Amino acid sequence: MIEARGLTKRYGSKTAVDGISFSVQPGKVTGFLGPNGAGKSTTMRMIVGLDRPTAGSVTVNGRPYAELREPLHEVGALLDAKAVHTGRSAANHLAAMAATHGIGKARVRDVIEMTGLAGVAKKRVGGFSLGMGQRLGIASALLGDPRTLILDEPVNGLDPEGVLWVRNLVRFLASEGRTVFLSSHLMSEMALTADHIIVIGRGRIIADAPVQDIVARATGTTVRVRTPHATQLVELLRGPDITVSTSEPGLLEVTGSTAATIGETAAAAQLVLHELTPIAASLEDAYMSLTADSVEYHSTSTGLPTPVGASAGVTSEEN
Amino acid sequence: MSTTTLPAATTTLPAAPRPARSGLTFGRLVASEWIKFRSLRSTWWTLAFALGGMVGISLIFGIGIRASAVSASDEDSMLGVLGLTFGYTAAQLALAVLGALTITGEYSTGMIRSTLAAAPRRLPALWAKLLVLTMVTVVVSFIGLALSYLVTLPLLSGTGVTVDLGNDETVRALLGVPLYLTAITLMAFAIGAIVRHSAGAITTTLGIMLVVPMVFSILGIFVSWAPRVGAYMPTTAGEQIMSFGGIAGAGMVSDYSLSPWAGIGLLGGYVVVLLAVAAVLMRRRDA
Repeated sequence: MIEARGLTKRYGSKTAVDGISFSVQPGKVTGFLGPNGAGKSTTMRMIVGLDRPTAGSVTVNGRPYAELREPLHEVGALLDAKAVHTGRSAANHLAAMAATHGIGKARVRDVIEMTGLAGVAKKRVGGFSLGMGQRLGIASALLGDPRTLILDEPVNGLDPEGVLWVRNLVRFLASEGRTVFLSSHLMSEMALTADHIIVIGRGRIIADAPVQDIVARATGTTVRVRTPHATQLVELLRGPDITVSTSEPGLLEVTGSTAATIGETAAAAQLVLHELTPIAASLEDAYMSLTADSVEYHSTSTGLPTPVGASAGVTSEEN
Repeated sequence: MSTTTLPAATTTLPAAPRPARSGLTFGRLVASEWIKFRSLRSTWWTLAFALGGMVGISLIFGIGIRASAVSASDEDSMLGVLGLTFGYTAAQLALAVLGALTITGEYSTGMIRSTLAAAPRRLPALWAKLLVLTMVTVVVSFIGLALSYLVTLPLLSGTGVTVDLGNDETVRALLGVPLYLTAITLMAFAIGAIVRHSAGAITTTLGIMLVVPMVFSILGIFVSWAPRVGAYMPTTAGEQIMSFGGIAGAGMVSDYSLSPWAGIGLLGGYVVVLLAVAAVLMRRRDA
């Protein structure tokens, strides 16, 4: 359980994190989503006490990180794959980290095996690829068998196998009742991994809800309508909560209504429809509309086919 | 690969062994710092250079004394002691680099974030590092001194130049070597913790060691107060602990020179102040 209250970080005149409050619950994977520079990493560094908040506070399991008696057993953090001395071997790095808490050699061997580092454990970290560095970072985070995991961009630099492995690992860790807080800028990855999403933009929380809610809320119900009678149909559909946009003659994107209502309206007026398609939004769409500062709820049609809604469908898996 | 590691993750994690008395202690931080210290190549290079410098310079003195076949006199006895202490000039360079790198290496690589995540109170980690560094420096400079003594002893026999270990002044000058070298190493460490940048910390430390005394000797040509003030500079003061027969380290003992113990005490004072600044900054700054 991670709780932030009014958490703020300013660097000079620049406000990186602007009074955010949120809580990360155990037993689920909570995604922390935002564009670059939104304040994700700064927030995560403040959680583990590396950066001092300008204002506000953040606690892990009810206490500030610095007051935890066994920090590595309470929290495992991957904040930066490069938080390792490049001149030291992976095995020695993990041994040194383990030594701080009296964690045994067997556990060090376990995390090396678990993260697939056995073949390179004796090599110096300076020669590691980004993916290997991430695996070592994850190994470090798992070392203390912690109840809470904080992973900043864990799939960054991993190959598809590694991505799948991380996804399964964090889902498994959450299923054991652990708190998993995971940042990513990869929306599709988040859709597959997270149960709950906190969206941050310009240092403020934009959304904090289950994945399905985020998708639903941001998109409303968009329906694509193709008709030769576009002008008449728009007149008929006009209403307070309904937005209609058009990118080419005869093609409408209607938000705030349903396919059924639109179909019935058209039938009543005897208007011909060539297409009537509810658009399943992806988390990407949701995210874009959430983080688009000025153009909220304005459907910007690119004329490109909407990405397959598969990602949004998968997120609704049981948790 | 991942398809094989995944099942391992699901089966191993719940069974993760948890030692009965696990948790963060100062002793464990020291153990961790010792692993970190010995698992870097730069540690061994700098220590080898320090030892090599001490023994090498003693050898030069030993061979020189033997070749010139000087006769026994007070001055020659001074030469014998100087032969054993003078290696500090080389060793201090290597140890200053080691001291600085011990902490700046963590900042330049990002390791410090792992270190502080494991020890979020921060200062225990700093003191653990300091303790390991101190112990190693004391041991290595004693070894260097002992090796210097052992390699020069056969060269001195029959030359009339002796090193009298029964003489209090001789013993003080010799013991001054590990004391001085440890103080210099810790000064470099403290500067490293303040500057957090390898090149900056090493340059600053070498500047204090080499440039500051030089500036005061240049000033001494023109102004009368220069030697008086210069005597209080860190290395000039610290070198007095190795003074013997009118020579203190690489310089002469002057009217203004501090006494051996006052001198090393002052250097120690500088180190304590720098460490205090480093500690305050380490607690305050973002990592």
